Amino acid sequence: MLAVVVTRHILGGMGPAQIAVFYSLAVIAIAVFFYGLARRVAKYRQGRSIDRPWLRGPGSGVKGVTARPSFASAAGAVLTNRTVRRRKPLVGWAHLALFWGFLGLLAATTIVGVDYDIYGHIITGAIEGHEKTFLTGWFYEAFNLVFNAAGVAAIAGLAVLLVRRHQRSEPQLDYTRVDVKDGGYSRAKLVAGDMLFVDLLMAILVTGFLVQGLRILSEGFPSFERWTWMGWFVAKALSVAGISPNVAFYLHGVLWWAHSLMALGFVAYLPYSKAVHMITSAADLVATDPGPTRRLPALADGKPGYTSAADFTWKELLDFDACTKCGRCHEVCPARTSGGPLSPRDLILDLRQWLNTTRHIPTLLETELRSETTGPAAPPDAEPAGDVIRQETLWACTTCMACVEACPVGIEHVPTIVSLRRRLVDQGKMEPTLQAALQNVASQGNSFGKSARMRARWTKALDFTIKDARKEPVELLWFVGDHASFDERMQGLSQSLARLLHDAGVDFGLLYEAERNAGNDVRRVGEEGLFEMLVESNMQAMSNASFTEIFTTDPHSFNTLRNEYSSFGLEVRVRHYSQLLADLLETGRIPVAPLGAKVTYHDPCYLGRYNRITEAPRRVIRALGCELVEMPRNRDNTFCCGAGGGRIWMDDSHLEERPSEMRIKEAGALAVDRFVVACPKDFAMYSDAAKTTGLDTSMQVVDLVQLVEEAHALATRETAGMASGAKSGETETS
Amino acid sequence: MRIVVPVKQVPDLVEELELNSEGSDIDREFVKFVANEWDEQALEEALLIKEAVGAQVSVVAFDEPDVDQTLYTALARGADDAVKLTGAGDGWLSTAERARLLAQWLSGQSYDMVITGVQASDDLDGQLAGTLGGLLGVPHASVVVGVEPGSGSVTVTQELAGGTVVTTEIATPCVVGMQTARQAPRYAPISRIRQAMSAGGLESVEAPGEATGPAEGVELLRLYPPEKAGRAEMISGDAPAVAERIVEILASKGLVKL
Repeated sequence: MLAVVVTRHILGGMGPAQIAVFYSLAVIAIAVFFYGLARRVAKYRQGRSIDRPWLRGPGSGVKGVTARPSFASAAGAVLTNRTVRRRKPLVGWAHLALFWGFLGLLAATTIVGVDYDIYGHIITGAIEGHEKTFLTGWFYEAFNLVFNAAGVAAIAGLAVLLVRRHQRSEPQLDYTRVDVKDGGYSRAKLVAGDMLFVDLLMAILVTGFLVQGLRILSEGFPSFERWTWMGWFVAKALSVAGISPNVAFYLHGVLWWAHSLMALGFVAYLPYSKAVHMITSAADLVATDPGPTRRLPALADGKPGYTSAADFTWKELLDFDACTKCGRCHEVCPARTSGGPLSPRDLILDLRQWLNTTRHIPTLLETELRSETTGPAAPPDAEPAGDVIRQETLWACTTCMACVEACPVGIEHVPTIVSLRRRLVDQGKMEPTLQAALQNVASQGNSFGKSARMRARWTKALDFTIKDARKEPVELLWFVGDHASFDERMQGLSQSLARLLHDAGVDFGLLYEAERNAGNDVRRVGEEGLFEMLVESNMQAMSNASFTEIFTTDPHSFNTLRNEYSSFGLEVRVRHYSQLLADLLETGRIPVAPLGAKVTYHDPCYLGRYNRITEAPRRVIRALGCELVEMPRNRDNTFCCGAGGGRIWMDDSHLEERPSEMRIKEAGALAVDRFVVACPKDFAMYSDAAKTTGLDTSMQVVDLVQLVEEAHALATRETAGMASGAKSGETETS
Repeated sequence: MRIVVPVKQVPDLVEELELNSEGSDIDREFVKFVANEWDEQALEEALLIKEAVGAQVSVVAFDEPDVDQTLYTALARGADDAVKLTGAGDGWLSTAERARLLAQWLSGQSYDMVITGVQASDDLDGQLAGTLGGLLGVPHASVVVGVEPGSGSVTVTQELAGGTVVTTEIATPCVVGMQTARQAPRYAPISRIRQAMSAGGLESVEAPGEATGPAEGVELLRLYPPEKAGRAEMISGDAPAVAERIVEILASKGLVKL
């Protein structure tokens, strides 16, 4: 062979015995890989069946909230690492570099394999009689140019991730459990698994370049190898370091084996370890559905909650395997940050370990060790709700959806938590205060335990009568909700809203005592039977009323009416009062004078994150001439007040610091006069939090309605002052 | 072991009670009726015994308003069967009549224990367990806060005045009036109540007799809503000042002589 041929010898300088050993090991590694993968796939196939229609055709998504899920958009998310880069640009771009670098190197290895084994040995060698290669000339040069870049990208990206994992200084990378305070567990294996993954990958990449550099050095720097730019650079560096071509030739042989053994080892290790996320996370992103968190699934086969490993769906099994322990859910969870016993990350990891043990899935460095058979080490016949995941952990969830939103790989924590809660409810395992609230809802239709007939009592203070939608047709049906109807602190807000709408000439009405708790929180607590009963009552009441559209005060009621009642036959448009107010202000139907206040706005989880209604409240604030200073965490990245998912009915005195207190302190740093909310539960939570933190002296918690009322009163006074003979005397406000 | 738990319905105090036009009773037309809370304690204790040592728990009630809901809820919580005694009359059943009819029905039943609520919000007399025990000729215990079954007997813990707790062993069959169970009454998931309803495990039985009204020589003249009295006076100040004010009040009422 001529020295000027632009190529290199594959497996150059190795004897037949060495080649035989290499091929044998490669076959074993690949067999081990496929065995591990097959075990995982078999596990998913055992999962309970659920439909993900876009895997067959177009998906539906949640109308007006999320994009329709499709294979193409999911594939786009995988290939661009969009979800990994979101909110974490440094980590995301580093991961993207590693992702494409790794794919590049995988492609490079595949091309070499195809060239040497298939084209060289089989097609040209065995059939034509003499082996050829297509890895020559310009193709060889381009190959090295491109894939050297891939290798450098992979190393650069991995370096960032490796340093982060080794430092473990960020809270989301800390594996200390939040639910077990007194020890009895060791997660050293999980840490070792993380380190093995990044270190092994780095070692493979670095030795790859060293092998290349040593080869170029030992071959005396053939000029065409300049295209192998990084290998060339490494060769030059080694040469400067005093390594002679002969030593390089010897070292090349040694390092080549080191590199190859590690690479083959990596192939074999992949489906048993953290590295499996390269497959499972991508698959999970494709299968993830924005629907079920907003529109919880009905009971599976009428069975109230999960009782065994067999109850988990294939998507849940895939969710658990997709987790990379990135900890973003752990970081954003209001239960975790307030000192509660829930880490969404650990919930997923515990279920994964227990299910893998139960199903005899072999794993490497993926298990937590326990001195007792509890949590992830629970026996196969344990209860997932109560034994594997503790009751307190499941009850700590506010269903704020921050975890689902933050998860870069599409894990749906909330529906899983609710499925497990359903089991606890079925066994009656709950706090007495929650039990009392559910019993109140069951007997009176409201969580306050007040007589159902008292629901509309707050309207008595008005000097006009709100229409009864059951008796006369109205355009808008106001679904007031429990808190805005029964809580004395919120009744004033309901009266204010009623006056504003009345003054604006809006045609609206109530269901009066026929309204029941909408059931959003009842469903999220896991009391599906009660939820269905409430839906039946409300649907019955609404079928006796005449209206064209619904608006709600409560974002939680809004969510269930908008996203869940449609499964029970509700077909009208549902809006939140902030949307209604925004329209009325912008069309001038509620005249206002600019307030000039400096305010901040807290997005309710069920409005901003669940339903992506973030602009309407801001339009209201702008229309009132207020200066809006955004919270550091806003819109779909809002932070929960701690009251959702039924938490408002449970004791929160065990928390180190209530989420509402953390949140109001966040606002306290903004130097604003008002903290504006658009949710009755927020009004209650933050009024309390402002008092307990002492921030009530500098900042007032107000509902959007109060702000509008104030600006409207100002406008009315101005008008009255300017012209005594106003056209209408009806616009008087107390 | 068979445990019979007699339960009754009482007006839901969430509602505002009104009297009928004659003033002889509360207006039962628009009042919602719920299970007597002490009977729920009785059922919980019976279910705890069932879970600990095994027992058949039978719930029995008269055909009072909304009673089906209460009986199905009992079945959803874990009771084995439920009996509704019909035809005993409409209005309010006095404790004495209730005891008499229940005793007649129970005399045709086999049971080891009768556990019922110590009282109800619409009588507050605490007589049911004792009267029932007397009519049946079996021992009884009231104001009970714990029942431990033994063989041929049960050990009951009673809470007496002044914080005294008494533990007594009584022979079965017996009647127990329950003050509080060892744990709060459990939650009955709506899906289970609905399951019980669709399974229809409610047995309607003719009551062994009819209510005959108040005992001879007793006549109900009129019911009154509680009269609104004056407001409470909050006494403030240090201890001597408070003491002085109390003495002054007592003296003004003629209760002490200065």
